[in-house]
Amino acid sequence: MAKLHVETTINGESTEILVDPQQSLLETLRDGLMLTGAKEGCNDGNCGACTVIMDGRTVNSCLVLGAEAQDADITTIEGLATPRGLHPLQQAFLENAALQCGICTPGFLISSKSLLDSNPNPSEEEVRFWLAGNLCRCTGYDKIVRAVLDAAKEMKAGN
Amino acid sequence: MISYNVIGQPIVRSDGFEKVTGRAQYTGDLKLPGMLWGKVLRSPFAHARIIRVDTSRAVGLPGVHAVLTGDDTRGVRYGRRLFDVPPLAEERVLFAGERVAAVAAESMEIAQNAIDLIEVEYDPLPAIADPLESMKGDAFLLHPDVNDYVGLPKKLEKVSNVFVTNTWGKGELDTGFAQADHILERTYTTPLVHQAYLEPHSCVVFIDEDQRIQIWAANKAPFALRQQLAAAIGVDEDRIRLNPTYIGGDFGGKGSPMDVPLVYFLALHSKRPVRMVMDYVEEFTAANPRHPSVTTVRSGVLNDGTLTAWEARIIFNSGAYGGFKPGVNLGGARDVAGPYKIPHTFVEAIQVYTNSVPGGHMRGPGEPQGIFAGESHLDEIARILGIDPLEFRLKNLVGEGDVTATGSLYRDVKAKETLEAASMAARYGSPLAMNVGRGMAMGARAPGGGETHVGVIFQKDGTVVARTPILDQGTGTYTTVNQVVAEELGLSSDKVQIIPWNTDAVSFDTGIGGSRGTRVASQAAYAAAQNAKQELLRAASEIRGWDPSNLVLKDNKVYKGNTEDYIDFDFVVQNCGFDIQGTSGIEDREQLTVTAFCAQIAEVAVDVETGQIKLLRFTSAHDVGQVLNPIGHQGQINGGVVQGIGYALMEELEVEDGRVSNVTFGDYKIPTMADIPELRTVLVQSKNGVGPYNIKGIGENTNTAVAAAIANAVEDAIGVRVYSLPITAEKVLAALRESNV
Amino acid sequence: MHDFTVHHPQSLQETLILLDRFGDAAQLIAGGTALMNFMKQSLLLPEHIINLQRVQGLQHIQSTKDEVRIGAMVKHREIEKSNLIQNEVPILASTYRRVATIRIRNMATIGGGLAHADPAQDPPSTLVALNARIRIASISGERTISIMDLFQNYYENSLMPGEMITEVIIPSMHSDTKSTYLKFLPRTADDYATVSVSLIATLNENIVRDVRIGLGAVAPTPIRATIAEETLKGHAISDELIQQASNSVAQQVDPLDDFRGSADYKRDMAIVFTKRALQQVLQGPS
Repeated sequence: MAKLHVETTINGESTEILVDPQQSLLETLRDGLMLTGAKEGCNDGNCGACTVIMDGRTVNSCLVLGAEAQDADITTIEGLATPRGLHPLQQAFLENAALQCGICTPGFLISSKSLLDSNPNPSEEEVRFWLAGNLCRCTGYDKIVRAVLDAAKEMKAGN
Repeated sequence: MISYNVIGQPIVRSDGFEKVTGRAQYTGDLKLPGMLWGKVLRSPFAHARIIRVDTSRAVGLPGVHAVLTGDDTRGVRYGRRLFDVPPLAEERVLFAGERVAAVAAESMEIAQNAIDLIEVEYDPLPAIADPLESMKGDAFLLHPDVNDYVGLPKKLEKVSNVFVTNTWGKGELDTGFAQADHILERTYTTPLVHQAYLEPHSCVVFIDEDQRIQIWAANKAPFALRQQLAAAIGVDEDRIRLNPTYIGGDFGGKGSPMDVPLVYFLALHSKRPVRMVMDYVEEFTAANPRHPSVTTVRSGVLNDGTLTAWEARIIFNSGAYGGFKPGVNLGGARDVAGPYKIPHTFVEAIQVYTNSVPGGHMRGPGEPQGIFAGESHLDEIARILGIDPLEFRLKNLVGEGDVTATGSLYRDVKAKETLEAASMAARYGSPLAMNVGRGMAMGARAPGGGETHVGVIFQKDGTVVARTPILDQGTGTYTTVNQVVAEELGLSSDKVQIIPWNTDAVSFDTGIGGSRGTRVASQAAYAAAQNAKQELLRAASEIRGWDPSNLVLKDNKVYKGNTEDYIDFDFVVQNCGFDIQGTSGIEDREQLTVTAFCAQIAEVAVDVETGQIKLLRFTSAHDVGQVLNPIGHQGQINGGVVQGIGYALMEELEVEDGRVSNVTFGDYKIPTMADIPELRTVLVQSKNGVGPYNIKGIGENTNTAVAAAIANAVEDAIGVRVYSLPITAEKVLAALRESNV
Repeated sequence: MHDFTVHHPQSLQETLILLDRFGDAAQLIAGGTALMNFMKQSLLLPEHIINLQRVQGLQHIQSTKDEVRIGAMVKHREIEKSNLIQNEVPILASTYRRVATIRIRNMATIGGGLAHADPAQDPPSTLVALNARIRIASISGERTISIMDLFQNYYENSLMPGEMITEVIIPSMHSDTKSTYLKFLPRTADDYATVSVSLIATLNENIVRDVRIGLGAVAPTPIRATIAEETLKGHAISDELIQQASNSVAQQVDPLDDFRGSADYKRDMAIVFTKRALQQVLQGPS
């Protein structure tokens, strides 16, 4: 099957990519573009390890066709840090030990970024509600909640 | 009390930067030139004869480079100790999900198409899924040749599906029961559950130009895997190299060779690197989950609450093979008799073959099953006698000098202190509303032993590289090595970088697991750092003509004694004229005389109209030595407790006719962020840990007693007990109704 | 996945032409959350996928004096957050909020979800209680049906070949109407309901003027607890009346054993949660 030419923006960079039409966005990112930060966990939309931001909303990239990247604005974990340094969320995750094996971490960071982008001052309950769709088997979640709340505070302080 | 600079600090984990930026490479992220995709065809039947496998159409498909059946791997058997697993089924399949054929192809799609083109003719046979059926004398034998298998601990006098039996005990049961005022017998069951690491099993195998077998695998015991594979395929170990990658969660489930032997054959036949990643349906159906169990406990007790006798038989459903357990049986079963001073005991644990998915290790293997039964039973006896469960446990718990029910003698016993700490933190005894209850349970686990190595190599830029073959599947072993090396060399932790070694570098490493990480890694790191330090001081003394025995390492500098005279660390490294390094190999398998106790108390509210349990708070008390990294340590506690909550309340791989039926995370549920209660942790400080830092392990203790604590809390709340896990709302309601009849 | 061609029609007319042309060989894809999984599991292998993401005229949330109209491609998350829906049909917003996870709600659509015809989902029982209507289009024309007529069986809708859902029409709720959506999740916070109850009622002082009860996850389709409704209508609220009405749902449910509960348990819980919904709405604080 011939590959499709798809024009898309990934982590702020406009780019033209070749997409295998049979592949999901997750496979396109991982196999086609070598952006292996988004992970394949359950591959059916339940675990959140594949979460990316697409046109301002978090989606399960395992359930999106690669071809849907056309004209979309996509953010992956690789786009979170800047040349100036880590995103406050990444820093907060490190300082709070909000990760262990790390496989759920990109999905959690992207989901958390999406939360703070839309609600910069979430309550703990709001954090739990928003992130309840991401599974983690190592940490028991509590430190992830602390990290997101810490990052929110840090970002509000105007960093 | 020694004060440390780096030890005991909540430093950021060593591999953290790579993980939060998405740069950490796991096996499934690897791309080798010319790599092929491997896929497996699995049996839909729990038991069947394979009459015919026709691969002709698959072989002819463009892009397919290898198609294998049992004929291609005939006679090969592998395992972690018992070698009973074939890479591909030969005459018969023994469980639904067993591998029957495999392909390697240019893409995932072509591989799947090839699998769909393979025709298999099966003759379905009667299947036994229930271990109680499989134990019977007239049951057909799944493994008639079991006595010939490599690694069987003890030949069976009469071949049956019960292939290994272990017993523990002391005293005389008859005496104990004769003394008793009350005797209670109950049966408890636990289900099949999955480790649910988010990274499914993956491996890449590549036979290079030198005929070396290069492997990357989601396996936390690479040296053991090297041994197991070498023995299975009949090559020298040094032909195999395991290359380190990050592992996305393990919990005991990533110690098995799993698909590696099969992928080796695919690589061999296709002459290309081959990657195989299990999809999660395959994981739920055919990986190596925690064993289901049926446990009968019979106890004798005096009116005053003194236990006199304890008899327990645990039947583990091993599934179709026994090869995924390094001990062949599950030693944790002995914990059904707990840290109690019962004089007359007998515990028997057996493994039974059935036509079901083969079980493996999961966090405290055998312990959650045993402790659920034992601690539930203790609570029930207490209530029958009218004694508060806390008082009952305190009365029977081991103290200093007491031998445990299964014959272990520990020193610096903190069992009672740990239980009391838990009860204080949980405000045990304070009034509760209607249908709200508290329950407790205890566990104990000594840090496991093993062997590992560390190498400390100074870099010209003044940093240090520490190398180790021990892997870090999330538990924090790299951070342990980092902290120890930094501490001993007077460096800040950001000056120490961990680079794992592949299996060529050293002779052996036991692998991470068994709560051995901190014990073994800290000793190896300490020794290597000491060796490296000597070399560094020698170099410094040569540069300045100082007496090497009088030098102090501190704050990235080498000081002359107590003076302010110093040389910068990196100056020494850059100017000494030789490579400064130190290595160590530690083998510490000593049966420890210290253990770590854990006491947990659950507080639940039960909705009596629906049976639903709401977990209000959970308290976890741990007897610890020195804690090297408090936030890493707390992370292990949090994670273990939440896994325990899943086991207690929601997790079960449902099996119909031997086939797992809930095969996605939509149907097999693990706790989400919205399911967890307030968690309180209290640490009981002990002076008697292991090694130079007096540490104790934490990896497994935290999840093994949770289910029992919750079961006991439910009984406290509403006066009924559920004897099987998971404790679902439906079971609670049924128990309530039965008690009201 | 298998070989397929994806089409991106820009208008409804274009879409219907494609549907007509390809017939059985085509599947519509809306949010993708169901179809992608079916394709990955090889349960559906369409040669043609007609992607609705760019079709004009299916993305609206509008209200008139009497009704609220929601285009079939409106996402769950949009309904959840819409001020209009929160004001005019609050039970709909609160129901959509309970579906799965935020990521799924960002992707899944109202039309796609309904066409999937899974009675364990959250929206169907609420839309059934709201007396929603479904507008359906094909190359031959349009028709509008009651939502009750959309669902035939587990995963079976009544759409004919070539037909697709274009709009969901919901009669406006009166300002004195009270409502609640209860989702019973005994296992984990992220799951399909073991049973769910959607209740919409209007009271005249103590008398039940109108009541509609939708039940989910208890039958091959979402159902209305009509016997309970008849028991309640026109009567004064009392504990006995509520219990009597609740007990009657046992006659109308027909649940299956599954991972979320046995059929018997679901039957019992349908009674319990109907009762709780009635207590909350009829006896709770105004």
